[in-house]
Amino acid sequence: MTPALVCERLVKRYGDKTVVDRVGFHIDEGEAYGLLGPNGAGKTTTISMLVGLLRPDEGSVRVGGIDVDEDPVAAKRLIGYVPQEIALYPELTARENLRYFGRLHGLPRRELASRIGEVLDLVGLSGRGDDKVGTYSGGMKRRTNIAVALLHRPRLLILDEPTVGVDPQSRVAILDRVEALVGEGMSLLYTSHYMEEVERVCTRVGIIDQGRVVADGSKRELVAELGGTDRVELTLDGDVTAAAEKLRTVEGVSEAVVTGSSSIRLLVAGGRHLLPALLSAVGDTGAVTGVEVVEPDLEAAFLHLTGSTLRD
Amino acid sequence: MAKTLGKSTLSALLVVGGHELRSRLRDGTAPLIALVAPILLATMFGLALGGDDDPPFKATIGVVDLDGGEFPASVQREALNTDELKGVLTFRQYPDEAAARGAVDGGESGAALVFPAGFSESVGAGRGGQVSVLESPESPLAGVVARSMVDRISALVEARTLAVRASLEAGVPADRVQLFVEENGAAGPALSLVGDPVSGGKVDLAVHYGAGMAVMFAFFVVGTTARSLLVERQNGTLDRMRAAPLPLWTALMGKSAVGFGLALVSMCATWLSSVLIFGASWGDPLGVFLLLLAHVFAATAIVMLVASRAKTDAQADGYTLGVAFVFAFLGGSIVPVYNLPEWLRSVSLITPNGWVSAGLSELAGTGAGPSAVLVPIAVVTGIGVVAGTLALLGFRKGRFA
Repeated sequence: MTPALVCERLVKRYGDKTVVDRVGFHIDEGEAYGLLGPNGAGKTTTISMLVGLLRPDEGSVRVGGIDVDEDPVAAKRLIGYVPQEIALYPELTARENLRYFGRLHGLPRRELASRIGEVLDLVGLSGRGDDKVGTYSGGMKRRTNIAVALLHRPRLLILDEPTVGVDPQSRVAILDRVEALVGEGMSLLYTSHYMEEVERVCTRVGIIDQGRVVADGSKRELVAELGGTDRVELTLDGDVTAAAEKLRTVEGVSEAVVTGSSSIRLLVAGGRHLLPALLSAVGDTGAVTGVEVVEPDLEAAFLHLTGSTLRD
Repeated sequence: MAKTLGKSTLSALLVVGGHELRSRLRDGTAPLIALVAPILLATMFGLALGGDDDPPFKATIGVVDLDGGEFPASVQREALNTDELKGVLTFRQYPDEAAARGAVDGGESGAALVFPAGFSESVGAGRGGQVSVLESPESPLAGVVARSMVDRISALVEARTLAVRASLEAGVPADRVQLFVEENGAAGPALSLVGDPVSGGKVDLAVHYGAGMAVMFAFFVVGTTARSLLVERQNGTLDRMRAAPLPLWTALMGKSAVGFGLALVSMCATWLSSVLIFGASWGDPLGVFLLLLAHVFAATAIVMLVASRAKTDAQADGYTLGVAFVFAFLGGSIVPVYNLPEWLRSVSLITPNGWVSAGLSELAGTGAGPSAVLVPIAVVTGIGVVAGTLALLGFRKGRFA
């Protein structure tokens, strides 16, 4: 079966700066692929090239076997793109927004009317479809943002940080809808700052850092790269920067990153056995108030591969 | 496939255009800028400057003839006999420069010419001569006429001086040279103002300023579309449109078309209200329409060029305002071109306003048909093509298209 998306050696430069550097991955039909990376890693630039908004300097993108550069219009028919911003007209109702973008996708009037009802239902907004989007909560706007991309029944749904700025309840609602769509066979490209979202929705993950895909595989494959390394979350009262410096000198500690004003994340080979050495290394830089040893997970894999936390 | 794409693209253009137009109607800018403002402008200028059956202007030019010779008398006689100034120009004599200055300052005369003593003799002897002009800011048109007469006199004096010198060089005796020159075709001043830069003065001022304002306003009308384009880019809706299965330029073209259409309506509304309410004549309707059409095209392209370089909607507003006012000033939409210094008159020709102003003067002033304004139309269209090409390049770089 033709893959839903194949991108090969994508490069995008702005002046001397290469923001996307030979990025390549593929998404099989019906597969949910997560693209993880910190801010500025090149995720949105990559997506802009995938959906035909930006022309790559090198490389190629094929959507459902169609080359985006050669036939962008045909390729875009297969894509449902949900941008990171709420790309809607606040002065229009959800229904009017959907009608406008649906007509741009060339949906016939009659089909469009029924599809608007279906997608509003799908995102749980059928009762508020005639309200102006400007009056919506952040979560409702996000759901409408997704609904627009679903109107034309795309083969590949691309969601760029779809839950930024929404309350936990709306986030759960959005993830439920996305999971349902994947369950129905839709292919998905999902980027997020939230590791747990990617872990929940996606079967395969690509980790992008400084414009390059540094790892690509299933969650199990990525975690396996850690070997016997554990993630240790340390909280303390004191100078976390100085403490992290000292912790890096402990044998077996591969990463020590300050994640908050009183927290440090460590990657430690055989974490449980090294706890006494870690506590001793903190020494007089602060008083340890909590320690959590976590089994190897995607968060630890990300830290291992990029040397930073996802929200850096 | 190509046919389907063409149809869907056209349909999408209409969808984008319809959406843009509804937005402009909803926020009230379309009726305000396309109808209310231009009709108001035409009315204001009609009430203030037009609306009667008088010739475009009448001017009284003072004359201080300290020479007493044939030359000053001949200049006045010839001027009064020209087709352009017959019935328009009146000469009033003053004994000296101080009296003339007082008359000009007091508004009795619009301007004055001072012929110094010995002027005719000096010219006749090939030594040239100097005529000075007294002007008043209150009567700019009279000043223009007086200066253009002096320009003409200067040309004649130069010709006469050259002829005398050439005759002397050729051996004609000094006491016979004046007669010799006059016998051989350089007899008195054959004054003619045809082709002199006073054409603006021949046009009803209400038409001149009304058209000037409409020409300037076209930039503001298109500016609202440029602003909307920038807002859509900031809000992400432009990218959403570009992600639709359509050529990337569809959104840009759909919105630009609305700006173009509204600007054309705006200009035509000014023109029609000036004609229908005040009976002003802008000249041959087809010529006027083609000129306005070319200007709207150029204004749209220029404003889009500005928008393609702007990063925010506020920046686009500022740039548009700047361009519109500078072009209006240089192109004679605010101050008539003939009132500008010589070097600025040349600069006016790099603006569409300057060419439109010249074209309208031609149509309204001479009653000529569309063929008389083919050059202005071609130049203005050319300005639009160049600006439009640069705009498209900028839009591609700025992720608009």
